[in-house]
Amino acid sequence: MSTFKDLVRVAFTGLLARKVRTLLLLLGPMIGVAAIIASVGLTDSAKGDLKQKVAKLGTNLIEAAASSSFGGQNPTLPTDAVERALTVYTVEKVSAVVELSNIVVSPYEEAREKFETVPIPVLGTDSNLPEVLQVDLVSGRWINQFDEESSVRAAVIGVGLAREFDVLPGENRTIELNGIAYGVVGILNSVELEPGFDNAVFISFARAEIDFLNDDVKPNKMYVRCAEGTEAETSEALKTAVNLGGPQEITTDIKSEALELAAQSDRQLQMIVISMGLLAIIVGGLGIANVMSISVIQRSAEIGIRRALGHTRNIIAIQFLFEAIVVGVIGGILGVLLGMLAIFIGASIAGWVFVMASWLAPAGIVLAITISILAGLYPARRAAALEPLETLRLG
Amino acid sequence: MELSHVSRVYGTGEAAVWALRDVSLIIRAGDFVSIVGPSGSGKSTMLGLLGCLDVPTEGTITVGDEEVTRLADAARTRVRGKSIGFVFQQFHLIPHLDALGNVETALLYRSLKPAERRERAMASLEQVGLGRRADHRPVQLSGGEQQRVALARALVTEPKILLADEPTGALDTKNAANVMEILSGLRSTERAVVIVTHDTSIANSAARKVSMLDGGIVSDEVLRP
Repeated sequence: MSTFKDLVRVAFTGLLARKVRTLLLLLGPMIGVAAIIASVGLTDSAKGDLKQKVAKLGTNLIEAAASSSFGGQNPTLPTDAVERALTVYTVEKVSAVVELSNIVVSPYEEAREKFETVPIPVLGTDSNLPEVLQVDLVSGRWINQFDEESSVRAAVIGVGLAREFDVLPGENRTIELNGIAYGVVGILNSVELEPGFDNAVFISFARAEIDFLNDDVKPNKMYVRCAEGTEAETSEALKTAVNLGGPQEITTDIKSEALELAAQSDRQLQMIVISMGLLAIIVGGLGIANVMSISVIQRSAEIGIRRALGHTRNIIAIQFLFEAIVVGVIGGILGVLLGMLAIFIGASIAGWVFVMASWLAPAGIVLAITISILAGLYPARRAAALEPLETLRLG
Repeated sequence: MELSHVSRVYGTGEAAVWALRDVSLIIRAGDFVSIVGPSGSGKSTMLGLLGCLDVPTEGTITVGDEEVTRLADAARTRVRGKSIGFVFQQFHLIPHLDALGNVETALLYRSLKPAERRERAMASLEQVGLGRRADHRPVQLSGGEQQRVALARALVTEPKILLADEPTGALDTKNAANVMEILSGLRSTERAVVIVTHDTSIANSAARKVSMLDGGIVSDEVLRP
């Protein structure tokens, strides 16, 4: 035990005596470990963010859209698509939307020219949409049953549009859709999986039918909440249930899967950065081997005198290895700290939550030590092989 | 310590060089021996063998009751650490350690408590008159002081044999005399002091003089009791 302490002490004094050289030795494992920690941590943080989104979204959200594989211009779902979807017993809630085309939206007369250039989607929908998407309103209320039945000209706008129109929460506004004035009753918060909703205007199906369609409302998209764990079966069943073998095709999409896929593509990036970190740490290890080999030559007289003083070959080898290990430990710890700092900064900039797996820090340090030991083996063996008689240049 | 019919050959076949040929020598506790000879006489080889840094091609060497020639490298190293102290012409102090640290180096890896090691190293430094220079690094010390640190380092393990290789070779006359004085004072009933040198005047200040030439001992005379 006291021999062990001696080894550690001598390693430290040796390293402290050559500060610049030690600093250079530290850089390799430090940068390598930092790169690995940062890459894993940052992708984990990003994933953590996605996981939060999935959790917020729920895994059981299915999007069913009319598809146009037969070449139809504006594919639509049947008028009673919602009722049909509800016949699937795993379906819990459904909401449908229809996108109304070519509607000019402007907050007030003077701004018409400005907003004509940027098309603003106007969507007809039902009272269930926020509930199905699990989105809340920034202010006001959603289109309710009464709006639908009484055909009141009530509109809800997305939070992005509200910002653009300078609508303050709680402030009543009028917007014009093709010149028809609608009262803004609420502002919808941003919807993670439908970023387009941020800039959209929502009105009731009933009103859409009267003001903009001369036909029955045929939705082109449905959002479906199903029982947890039945996503795959439900999305299959929906296709049949909704089109009943009719001519219109339906594509279904489990929304959480898309996010998980996004997380997976990050994993590939992570692998690349980890490989680069590994490369950095291997190069760092080669640096250690190189510098220590030179050090063995420079310190050959010291090694010789130590051997003469009764330090065995093993002790000399272990002593050099210990220097490498100390470099590995300190480099590893500094690397972990540097990596954590990088994650912290990266996550702060991207607005993610700081996520760092508990195994990362010890793994990083162990990696640094392993590389250092491997790097120290060769110089240590060379140091041990020196003949004291030759290095002391007797006579 | 006893060398019995020792030969040391470097190289093999036609290129073989007989650095030592059939040499026998006994060094006892209390001896103050000088081994003197011109370069190429075999005295350096002799030093290597006496210091257990090297093994002979033929013959046996015993230190105390241990036959060194039979031991493996690690065991031989331990005998060296236990029984032999070295002083070299070039001092060979470790530059980044202070005087005390250099002396302590000889006591490393011996399961000593740091405090005890420090105490013994300090006592050894005081013995050579450098107690107040303990925290000086080699570059801050004169040649004579450096050689005394080296002496303290050699003594701290309480060796049975103190081997000095041209101990005054790098020193001026005054410091040389000082080091020689310390060396002669170090022999005791427990310890022999052996000086290897090419300088006859240094050799003559020893109590016993072993003269070497061409790999053999040509004379072994007692100069004074």
